[in-house]
Amino acid sequence: MAFNYDEYLRTDKMPTLWCWGCGDGVILKAFIRAIDKLGIKKDDMCVVSGIGCSGRFSSYIDCNTVHTTHGRTVAYATGIKMANPDKHVFCIAGDGDGLAIGGNHTIHGCRRNIDINLILINNFIYGLTNSQTSPTTPQGMWTVTMKRGNIDPTFDACKLAEGAGASFIAREKVTEPRKLEKIFVEAFKHKGFSFIDVFSNCHINLGRKNKMGSAMENLDWIDQITVSKKKYDAMSEEERKGLFPTGVLKKDEEAREYTEMYEKVKEAWQNNTKVEL
Amino acid sequence: MSKREVISSGNDLAARAAVDAGCKFFGGYPITPSSEVMHTISDLLPKIGGACMQMEDEIAGICAAIGASMSGVRSMTATSGPGISLKAENIGLAFIAEVPLVIVNVMRGGPSTGLPTRVQQGDVLQAKNPTHGDVKSIVLCPGNLSECYTETVRAFNLADRFMQPVFVLLDETLGHMHAKAELPSLQEVEEGIKLRREFVGDPADYRPYDVPQDEPAILNPMFKGYRYHYTGLHHGPTGFPTEDAEVCDRLIKRLFNKVDAHTDEIESYEEYLLDDAEYLVIAYGSTSLAAREAVNRLREEGVKIGMFRPITLFPSPDKKMKELQERFGNKVYMAELNMGQYVEAFERATGMHRDEFVTHFKANGRPISPADMVAKIKEELL
Amino acid sequence: MSLMKAPENTPVWTNEANCKACDICVAVCPAGVLAMRPDPHSVLGAMITVIAPEDCIGCNECELSCPDFAIYVADKKEYKFAKLSDQAKERAKKIAENNYMQLGA
Repeated sequence: MAFNYDEYLRTDKMPTLWCWGCGDGVILKAFIRAIDKLGIKKDDMCVVSGIGCSGRFSSYIDCNTVHTTHGRTVAYATGIKMANPDKHVFCIAGDGDGLAIGGNHTIHGCRRNIDINLILINNFIYGLTNSQTSPTTPQGMWTVTMKRGNIDPTFDACKLAEGAGASFIAREKVTEPRKLEKIFVEAFKHKGFSFIDVFSNCHINLGRKNKMGSAMENLDWIDQITVSKKKYDAMSEEERKGLFPTGVLKKDEEAREYTEMYEKVKEAWQNNTKVEL
Repeated sequence: MSKREVISSGNDLAARAAVDAGCKFFGGYPITPSSEVMHTISDLLPKIGGACMQMEDEIAGICAAIGASMSGVRSMTATSGPGISLKAENIGLAFIAEVPLVIVNVMRGGPSTGLPTRVQQGDVLQAKNPTHGDVKSIVLCPGNLSECYTETVRAFNLADRFMQPVFVLLDETLGHMHAKAELPSLQEVEEGIKLRREFVGDPADYRPYDVPQDEPAILNPMFKGYRYHYTGLHHGPTGFPTEDAEVCDRLIKRLFNKVDAHTDEIESYEEYLLDDAEYLVIAYGSTSLAAREAVNRLREEGVKIGMFRPITLFPSPDKKMKELQERFGNKVYMAELNMGQYVEAFERATGMHRDEFVTHFKANGRPISPADMVAKIKEELL
Repeated sequence: MSLMKAPENTPVWTNEANCKACDICVAVCPAGVLAMRPDPHSVLGAMITVIAPEDCIGCNECELSCPDFAIYVADKKEYKFAKLSDQAKERAKKIAENNYMQLGA
């Protein structure tokens, strides 16, 4: 016996349209294993994706799927979740999708703490459109719009999510598929907005011009810029430079979830009272 | 079934109509002069178990509304011109993915921030072509308070019938006008509700976009065993992206044809005192209120004049307009609160040029009064 | 858990229709079980091959790291996997040095 991914895949869409070695596929597999582990039924879940390579994610999973416009995943998902509070809603967005053009929706999804799981596939570049600078492109790297080295300061997506109020925040990388699956399980179980920043490789449109043109070279670079939260916490400010902690960074189970709060709004209107906070 | 009489405003009535028509979700963002739609519906929806979301921006407002509609519930957004501009891209997704949605636009002065608290009918052509690419828009334009209610109800039924966004064009005057309105009974509204079609066979046989060339897609509610894919990309019969030339050709032609083949179900207009008329007034929306008064005053003076008032602006009643033009020749007066947007539809339908008849345009945020109209008609038409 | 039936007496097997020859499975295999073979019909000119099934230790790294649903590993309960040998480790190193290509190919 082996794990049967086909149960959750639209197998007629295989192989995927992603490049060889693209981390998107590793994330898709970890996602499927997490769903299976939690026993979430395909008819009880909706996957919403945006535009970019990650946008194709939704078309491969055999459930209710929506491929939206650029950056709007969380906004679409909010409508789906509000109309169906008992269903599982997952968003897949890239770093350009979720942090640049759709940054506002990411912020406010976090702020409302609505029970949506946002997987940010962070490959540090606009891959699909061929190598433009993204909000997470490291400074100094070649991009097609900053050929002499990117000067734009970079986002720490998890800090953004924390500032905005997400109740579950984690970072993981595609080189740790087991941990990734575990984090997905924990995130999907969490009631509230779960933000998962997944470092992924784009050796084609980030790597080729930045001396990591193969999947393994790009993945090695990701391993170099990440360190477990435990180790990170023990480091000095100086040692932390250029590093990102991985693991569960925040988990607040007391924070109130938006669809549950909205039930109180309904009760208040029906009973002619004020919302009980 | 007895009629109801209420004292209310156009914005308030649009919100009430939505809820009576079975709307369960509203996504919006504050904007003058449409905010009252959201104010009212934010009270009404939670009472009946629905949800109203004030989102973080106009784009999120329509996205959430489309998302809710994709999942199977009747859904609405309301805004004004600048909001429609921001929503444009996602309106396009609702057209190509065939997601029913009611979009209320309470028109204000434009372009840009324009005249936020004043009236204009400047978004007529925007409603006709509200997004990039080719779409066949359905645009309803209430001409009085009662119609703010009834046309919103009709918009929900048309959206589900044709599986696409339907625009309800109010304007600042109608939106904020507060007066008595006669409404159909709730029973009549509820009996008139026609929900989107559903496929009931084996999920293995379900091909949501595999429909005749004059029919909309059949999109089942989510979470009911029919797992399929929505996309803003061109897609084939199963809903998955394709670039196949023939499939793309069939899709875009069907999106037009599903409306074109059924304009009889959509067209709607009023003919006022036209039977013996020698002169024709064309007006719509709040402008038609003044035009009606102008016609009445001229009638009192013995002028045989009547009014044609399109209620469905698009698809435009081309046959009817051509018929009227043939009857009245160039004895036509057309008034609108813009620089001649609907005149374009009349020109196209009749082959006439606007110089050949009398036009009365105003786009400075002020309405055209009945006295202005009477004066202009006397000076240039009679 | 959703399970698929494994081919009989096989520790690790591939689906060549899905493989895009990215080398990741070969790179993460500690036992030199996998390598790429030249394949003129593949886009990148190579294809995954199980070259030493007898040395597979069942660690599952290749399957978990494969982005393309192209490689599978048997269940530990159903197949008796090998222990990691020095010889296997040495082969893995050589394959990596050979650009993940099959040795001698």
